Amino acid sequence: MLVPVGVLRLPRGPEGSSRGFNPASPRFQALLGGQMTAQAVRANLRQRYLRGLGAARGRPTRFYLRAGVQVDAVFGAADVDAVAFQVDALRTPLGVQAAALLRYTDVLAYTFLLE
Amino acid sequence: MNDWQRKSPLDWETYVNKMVKVAAIEKHEYEGWVLTVDPVSASIVLATFLENEEVSISVVLGHAVQEVEILKEGDDEMKQRLSCIFAPEESKAYSPEELEKRKNNLKTWLETNHIPVTEQGESGRTLCVAGVLTIDPPYGPEECSSSNEIILSRVQGLIQGYLEKQE
Repeated sequence: MLVPVGVLRLPRGPEGSSRGFNPASPRFQALLGGQMTAQAVRANLRQRYLRGLGAARGRPTRFYLRAGVQVDAVFGAADVDAVAFQVDALRTPLGVQAAALLRYTDVLAYTFLLE
Repeated sequence: MNDWQRKSPLDWETYVNKMVKVAAIEKHEYEGWVLTVDPVSASIVLATFLENEEVSISVVLGHAVQEVEILKEGDDEMKQRLSCIFAPEESKAYSPEELEKRKNNLKTWLETNHIPVTEQGESGRTLCVAGVLTIDPPYGPEECSSSNEIILSRVQGLIQGYLEKQE
């Protein structure tokens, strides 16, 4: 006896990297095409930003914190989740800290010079 | 999350290569050419050209941005200048024929080592290895991009060895 089997309908469309699915097909474009262009733009913006972070590394930087506080330091790195900056040689009224973390939420802006 | 952080990447892209004035909290103001907007934190990266050929880069963090006003559009020359600011340094300039030769040599070498490689992009400038790693001109280890770190480091090592054998 033939038993009817429920059809499993998955909410997502075909992924481009799977065998047999074509990212240029009309179905893929209709379901996920808009996300692809937005993702390409997002990736491009992010790549430029990351190159900027790479260029900042090792340069003397001025950080503008809240309540008009400014501190100078040597730019170290920024983390992937945008939580903190790592800096070297942070000049504070209490002296120079060899290494420090500045929280993203405390920093309003920072500037550095490029030749 | 403020209004600026809520914008989509396509909105942020409309500000790139334009001269803007950013009004931040606590009455800070920054002016400059927009290089990029970080999609993760919505931070705006601004460039200001100083008189002595130096460039001052200011980054205004997304959470501090109140208003962004576009002052001027950048012309093609400015766009070119801005895109080169962070570009990785090229120590040698290759002619189109040299680049084509380098690309074909590398492609042949990869194929003889049974590594699947195809050409991609406009005029086939980019090499695509196994569908997951791309190599841009001038086809050195620095020009490899991939989302898979292991494949990236393996292929970079292979290309490094290949180039050293060439010289």
